[in-house]
Amino acid sequence: METRLNSPQTFQRFHILHRILHMVIIFNFTFLAISGFLLHFSGFGWTRFLVSLMGGAGAAGWLHRFCAVFLYFGILVHVFWLIYYKMVLKQNFRGLDSILPGKKDVSDLFQNLRYVFNKGTPPLFDRFSYLQKLDYWGELLGMQSMGITGLILCFPEFFAGIIPGFFINIAGYFHFYEAVLAVMYIGVVHMSDTHLAPDIFPMEKAIFTGKIEKQRFMEDHPGEWKRQQMIND
Amino acid sequence: MNLKTILSIIVGCALMIFMAAFNSTQAFAANLPELNAKKVIEEPLEKSLVQRALPQDPLVCIDCHRMPNINTNEGVIASQSFCFDCHKKDDIIKVNVEPGVSLQITKDTFHDNQPDHRFIACINCHTDIARSPHKTKTGVTCISCHTPHSESPANTPHLRVSCQACHFQSKFVMLDPKDFRVKLSHNDYDGVPISLSNHILSDVEDEETCRKCHFKNNPVGAPAAVLPSKSILCMMCHNSPLAVGHPVFGLAGLIFMAGIFFMIAFWFKGSVKGEETSLHRKISLSSESIWNTIFSKQVFSLIKIFILDILFQRRILKESVSRWSMHSLIFTAILLRFGLSLFTAIGFYFNPEGNMLTALIDKNHWFTAFANDILGLFILLGIIWAIVKRFIIKPDHVVSEYQDNITLILIGTLVLLGFFLEGARILVTAIPFDMAVYSFVGYLVSKVFSLFSIDWGQVYPLMWYAHGVVAAVFIAWLPFGKMRHMFNTPLTYFIEAVDGVKNEKRV
Repeated sequence: METRLNSPQTFQRFHILHRILHMVIIFNFTFLAISGFLLHFSGFGWTRFLVSLMGGAGAAGWLHRFCAVFLYFGILVHVFWLIYYKMVLKQNFRGLDSILPGKKDVSDLFQNLRYVFNKGTPPLFDRFSYLQKLDYWGELLGMQSMGITGLILCFPEFFAGIIPGFFINIAGYFHFYEAVLAVMYIGVVHMSDTHLAPDIFPMEKAIFTGKIEKQRFMEDHPGEWKRQQMIND
Repeated sequence: MNLKTILSIIVGCALMIFMAAFNSTQAFAANLPELNAKKVIEEPLEKSLVQRALPQDPLVCIDCHRMPNINTNEGVIASQSFCFDCHKKDDIIKVNVEPGVSLQITKDTFHDNQPDHRFIACINCHTDIARSPHKTKTGVTCISCHTPHSESPANTPHLRVSCQACHFQSKFVMLDPKDFRVKLSHNDYDGVPISLSNHILSDVEDEETCRKCHFKNNPVGAPAAVLPSKSILCMMCHNSPLAVGHPVFGLAGLIFMAGIFFMIAFWFKGSVKGEETSLHRKISLSSESIWNTIFSKQVFSLIKIFILDILFQRRILKESVSRWSMHSLIFTAILLRFGLSLFTAIGFYFNPEGNMLTALIDKNHWFTAFANDILGLFILLGIIWAIVKRFIIKPDHVVSEYQDNITLILIGTLVLLGFFLEGARILVTAIPFDMAVYSFVGYLVSKVFSLFSIDWGQVYPLMWYAHGVVAAVFIAWLPFGKMRHMFNTPLTYFIEAVDGVKNEKRV
């Protein structure tokens, strides 16, 4: 997957499809969070003003559902990509490039903790570090449960015929508290671990341009860098 | 993480679910609307509220009509009981017609026939009826609660048809001479008065409902056959629903999409940045460069090209003014009609009650009628100009290919049939002069048509199908013949602008 482009100093890190999908997620997640929280607190003071800016609760609800469908469309494209990756490109899901969690991630975590407390060397991350894997899986699985509870809330009459009525209330609670969790995770963990690291600040551009600079590549993904050099040599 | 931590997380989650369920069940049960309603309504209603409040002898509205709050179930039931008190009787008849028709309506029949309106007060719809003697100026007002529908559910907006004419189960309709609206008739076709008080809703999914107007020699000026709805393909010129409408349109749409697919596949047969074989690499390289172009300064020059060279056709203008005028008459008119119909379709989805959108879906509104007619006329003029140039003037540089001729014939027939259809519609539905005059071409055509004593109500469906089939053929043919230039030319302009002569994709 890794290819040198025109400049020798940058390396291809993300494929165009994944960049588009990441943009889809940024756009929809933001609007889902805004419209969702405005809807949940729509009765309180100044949120009433904000909801009216969005065109009222009806419009906010429409936007919320639209973005949810759009976001899930992105997930489906991603799943089709995975099938394509396996069936047509004949690539392997496992291996060192994989985003599947492995034993190395656990040891990396403890090694990183030791390094933070000044008791060892930093871990040699491969293509994805354990925190990046956590981001990916947290989002992917979180969106599934948000999707299921969201569907229950969107079609309560249909689901009341299948499951007991109080599950709809449970789905409501889950949907809200998981939204809080997701926004906290994205806003605090994902934002700080990508953008706020001292040598990355102010912004991580790799997911938008698809390219990573040589210096950053060597520092942040030394494992992958080493394998690259071995292939090239 | 050790076993203890995992266990405590699992137990915690289970506890949360259990607590949430427990909490929710309580709240849900207490707020159940039917339980509350039953408690309050049932016994006090029949005895005390109505019968004690109603005096035995003459009924004057104000005696018992203590303005119940019809936004609550209790108020609705109180208000309904007041109406049913008279209307439930067997012998209640309309006395000012001969023979008197029954006005009987009971709580049970109303609940059976209008299950969705059980908790709606009678005076909610019959707004100004509560007076003595009964008299109404407004009639029944459905659209104070329901939004009017656009093309898709009834195949056309049917804006001159009152809601009840389709949604109620009486077979007899009339064209009201006062406001030119189609309404339910109080008499059957033999002139015998009929009762309309049963409130039975009809099954509008069933085409039989449409046939109460759409039959031969109908009294309301409807076409003699039930026509399919417009298709999404018609969006190019008309406001149309997101529907297939008729299998012919579906087939045309499939051929169109297959054509687009083959066209793109053909583009990718060429080499992309030196890559000759792998389709995967070609797609990723070209999408990579599209992405890089969009997020670079070049995008502004592309926007400029889009506006000047594509919307305003600057490059054709540089070549020849007459060629530009001819091409713009066709292209800009179609583009404007497409823009208008797209705006209408999207706008109606978001704001079905707006005056502007109601005007835009109304074929007889002066703006819509005039805009459609003048744009159609522009297309027709452009086609005539092109035909004259090709077959009569024949300048040296114009090389007429058979594909050009097919295109001209298709668009010309389409627009001509469109005007014929409009004329026939104006004639059949008997649209009054001051409304029809804005669709000036259609009105002229209708005047010409009225000279022939043919039953245009029966010809209209045939012309409709002819117009539809020509449109379907045109759409299906877009990616194959001459009209492919509407995809290829802009793309070529863009690619030329991005990387000069060295084409990224060869067209």
